Amino acid sequence: MARTNAGVRRTGTSVAFVLMFAGAVTMVLPFLWMLSTSLKQSNLVFGAPEWIPDPVDWANYAEVWDAAPLATGLLNSVIVTVVVVVLGVFSSTMAAFAFAKLDFPHKRTIFVVLLSTIMIPLVVMILPQFLVFAQIGWTDTLLPLIVSGLLLTNATMIFFLRQYMFGIATELLEAAKLDGAGYLRIYWSIFLPLCKPAIAANVIIVFMTTWNDYLGPLIFTSSPDKSTVQLVIASLNAYHAEQTDYPLIMAASIIAVLPVVILFIAAQKYFVDSFAFSGIKG
Amino acid sequence: MKTKRRSQDMRRQERLWGLLFVAPISLQIVLFCVVPIGIAIVVAFTNWNVIKGTYDFIGIDNFVEFLTDKKFWVAAGNTVYMLIPIPFYLFFGILFALGSHRGTPGSTVFRVLFFLPYISSIVALVVMWRWLFNYQYGLVNQTLMAWFGIQGPDWLGDPAWIKATIVIMIVWKMIGIASIYILAALKNIPEVYYEAARLDGASSVRMFFRITLPMLSPAIFFLTIIGIIGSLQTFVEVQLFTSDGGRNYSAATITYYIWQKAFVSNDLGLAFATAFFFALVILGATLIQFRLSRRWVYEGE
Repeated sequence: MARTNAGVRRTGTSVAFVLMFAGAVTMVLPFLWMLSTSLKQSNLVFGAPEWIPDPVDWANYAEVWDAAPLATGLLNSVIVTVVVVVLGVFSSTMAAFAFAKLDFPHKRTIFVVLLSTIMIPLVVMILPQFLVFAQIGWTDTLLPLIVSGLLLTNATMIFFLRQYMFGIATELLEAAKLDGAGYLRIYWSIFLPLCKPAIAANVIIVFMTTWNDYLGPLIFTSSPDKSTVQLVIASLNAYHAEQTDYPLIMAASIIAVLPVVILFIAAQKYFVDSFAFSGIKG
Repeated sequence: MKTKRRSQDMRRQERLWGLLFVAPISLQIVLFCVVPIGIAIVVAFTNWNVIKGTYDFIGIDNFVEFLTDKKFWVAAGNTVYMLIPIPFYLFFGILFALGSHRGTPGSTVFRVLFFLPYISSIVALVVMWRWLFNYQYGLVNQTLMAWFGIQGPDWLGDPAWIKATIVIMIVWKMIGIASIYILAALKNIPEVYYEAARLDGASSVRMFFRITLPMLSPAIFFLTIIGIIGSLQTFVEVQLFTSDGGRNYSAATITYYIWQKAFVSNDLGLAFATAFFFALVILGATLIQFRLSRRWVYEGE
């Protein structure tokens, strides 16, 4: 009886392993094919599928910088992403601190309005924003990307950070107040350091969302020197897919995907935790 | 007397700093959310042209125009079609979360790999899929030919297959995130429930349907809600996979229709009217979901 149970469990584990393995392969295979294609000479991509390119040709990674304003795109993406992450961390932790620990007029109303912005469809939000940005002369600069990037991520971040700060004892705040510390100091030297894990998780999500955004740059910018890396890849696709220079496009895509993948692998623990956190508890 | 004034003073301090701390985000929301949406509602009743900058109030003409536009209804149908991925990635998400939960060897590595599509930019993914599903030279059709001798479909050109291609890609992209949410919910199920059921001699299948699935229902509900909101807004895939929404508008969604009206036809009034209508539909769909959820979502004892 006990033996059959163990046997059943072993079979179950084997089945689960095979299943997970098959799933993981399905997820990764397209990326491997992308990598493989990016290392081929353009005339060799139209034969029978070959996983290991012969010869391995790194030239595409050098050529792609001349074929498109990739460097400009990367630079613009870095600027927008860094500013959104830094400003986002400050504005959202400050707000989360106030919502979690302070009492002030209209607290509930402000919080409800903030949360309801999550429910509004992106396209409904982004078109009117376009109108406002056009009126104040911000279109075709990086400013709309920063402002709308902040809006895109702030509400969820505040919600998540507020939950986290609820978990920090209010006695800490009371004690600091008795010692004569002001609210700014309490926020800066007590709550900010204590929220490090939550902030780390949010930085990754905000980085990913901002870096990968396509709709914002598509609508708010038009000239090539304001393009983000996503727009550059999209334009390469429109132009070079006609020319069927697939290795070049694949090389560019890998360059665009790499920063997020590296960040993700380095901070995997925070990332997975944060999704588990921000979801509802089951 | 002195202490009273002091505590009053501290309360005032708290209110002041509370307002100061939420000021940046409130200002953002008013300036770039509330004001734009107010403007949008007004513009929906005009024939605002972006290029010329001219407009007249035309009442509900915009609403009549898109509601009688055949293309709009094709797009509406396609938008509903984009809900198809949801049950599929929920199913695979549950499957892989269960696999990962029972401590299958290698699950940490697998989890990272499952996440790769979700964290990658949609632009790069579409570019990659266009190459994979290329009619003549794509890996998919070449493999079908080499292994089974079948000529694969014209994934991107055929009006029926382009939608299927988008659906498959969304399922593939979303499985990782679905399984993470489900896994988090699985970890929160108290082990005592299973111990009690085992004492009663319940089978694994029975335990799955009587304990696991009901306990997962809040997570499944959450994923369904964000899934529906996301699916209804499918845009980037359509814009990057097709030119002009696909043959016979076969892949165009409502969001794509709105974008086209605003930035290709430069008819902002019509675009805003459609967007306004669409926002109400999404809101309605979400409210219905919440209402229905009372029947199947477990809310704790």
